[in-house]
Formats: sequence, C-alpha cells, structure tokens
Amino acid sequence: MSDLQFRSALSHRRDEDLPMDLCVSLDEVSDRAMIDLRGSLDDPKFVAAATAALGVALPAQPRSSSVKGDITVLWMSVDQWLVTTPRGSEQALLSKLVKRLGNTFSFACDVSDARTIIRVSGGDARSVLMKGTSVDLQSPVVKPGWVRRLLFAEVAAACQFVHSDPDTFDVYVFRSYADYVWEWLLAVARKGARVQLYGKQEPPLV
Amino acid sequence: MLMITCPVCGAEGDETDFHCGGQAHISRPASTDPHNVSDDAQRDYLYIRNNPKGLHREMWMCARGCGKWFHAERDTVTLEFKSYYGITESAPPSSSPNPAASKTTKKKSAGR
Ligand SMILES: [Zn+2]
Repeated sequence: MSDLQFRSALSHRRDEDLPMDLCVSLDEVSDRAMIDLRGSLDDPKFVAAATAALGVALPAQPRSSSVKGDITVLWMSVDQWLVTTPRGSEQALLSKLVKRLGNTFSFACDVSDARTIIRVSGGDARSVLMKGTSVDLQSPVVKPGWVRRLLFAEVAAACQFVHSDPDTFDVYVFRSYADYVWEWLLAVARKGARVQLYGKQEPPLV
Repeated sequence: MLMITCPVCGAEGDETDFHCGGQAHISRPASTDPHNVSDDAQRDYLYIRNNPKGLHREMWMCARGCGKWFHAERDTVTLEFKSYYGITESAPPSSSPNPAASKTTKKKSAGR
C-alpha cells in the first residue's frame, strides 16, 4: 500500500512563475486545517464547552472572527463557525472539542480538505477582489478580523480580512474551485487591468 | 435590482446574494387530510400562485450570508422590501395585501 500524502489544492502550481505584472501578490495558505462547528449560542452548555476546548470565545457578532494563538474562529452563520488550526493539530483539537461538547446539541467535523485558502495581498487587493463580488470591500467595516461569505467570481467563497498594511485577504474556496479561482485571479490582477475606482487615478499604461 | 437586508444576520445585498423561495404560506392539502385531497386542491397547491400588484409575501434565503431562510413582504410595484419576519412565523395580519392575495393568506394563516 502506498502512503497517503497530503497535497494542497494548488500544489501543482507552486513552481509556476507568476506573471511579472500582477498588482497583488497571490499565495496559497496550505498549512491550515479546518473544523466545522455548529451549535446554538442560546445553549450555555454548548458555548462553555466550545470556549473551553478552543481556548477562545466564539465570535457571536456576524461577519467577525476571533484569534488566540494558533487558533482562528471564523463566523459562518448564527449557528456555525469555521475553526482553523495548523495542519497536524486538527485531530487533537477535534477530539478535545467532541469530548467537551459531549451530548450537547452540536456538531464538529474535520473539513480540512474541503477548502483551500488563497491569500491576496497588496495595496490593490480590495479593488482586485471587488471585480468578483458585489460586496463593498472598500467599506470601513472591512477591518482586520472581518469575515464575509460571498459569491466570488461566481463561486461560493468566504473571505477574511487578515490585516492591513498591506491589505491582506484570505479567500476560502472549495478545493475543486481552487484552480479556477487561481486562474481567475491571475487574469484580473494584471496591472493593466486595474480599475482604480477609488483614490488617485493614474494615467493608463500604454 | 432588489435591495435586501437579511433579518437574521444583517447582511445587505441584491438578489444575487439571496435565493428566492417564492410565495410564502402555501399549505399542503395532504398535510391536513391525506385521504381527502381533491384534484383541484392539489393543482392549486402545486401550480396556482398569486401575482399581486402590491404587497407579496415571499420566502428568501440569505445565500451569501448566514444561509438562513426568512419571510419578507415585498412591494411588487416599487420592488421595495417592506418588512421581514421569521421563517417559522405566520403571515402578519397588520399590512393588508391586495384583496385577491388576502383571501388566500387569511384562509391559510387561520390553519396555523
Ligand atoms: Zn443572513
């Protein structure tokens, strides 16, 4: 039997040279494992168990996230969170969660290989991503920790604003869409394709 | 374009960010009396929908926000969303849609 080997969704493109004229930097974040967690915030037993297992409070505010050490918890819905943790530590975290949650009405599942994360970073990150979504990423609500599920380049995605300076977004897409979204970003992130709807206008490249 | 605000999570967006589930408060005849469903009642249940000029009660899903369903009252003339209420709630009696629609709405909400 051959050994199972983890390969990230975009590993086959890692050695590819990116176009020289990209106005953002693109990267795959492949070292994060993900756990899907569902339960009701109205159930104090669930909240206490999840908080104890994760070591960080569940973000109750829509479109927010919380971080503590290696663990990030993204708000997905009023009763759903996506927990990300370094790859390799997910089984330990999951069994801790399952044990703590016990028989509360809840659900925790390892979904590490369902999605991949594409990191888009640079001064033009907001305007590049806005080519693919109706969500206003220039809005002041888009600050570090902000999370939003959205339709991105016509596929379901989630987006987290990681930090500014430079503006950095993590785009979570289903693994089977990874290649398509990567290709899409390579096309729209060319310097010659800048929209520059906001801020200082530069003369077009000739 | 429709401007929609999810009453569950507050996400704002247009109709591409939401999924429309069509007319709300349609009751299934077989759920009340499975052995006595007339062809007419079954036809109405499956195919006959209101097409009001004015308030229309619809089901919507916050497809790109929290994934939850909710009810909305939409004005079909101005495309304005007038009010929202929970997916498990029956039709609000307050605002009265057009006469044709209110007949069915009343009949249906009486059973709930
Ligand atoms: Zn919502």
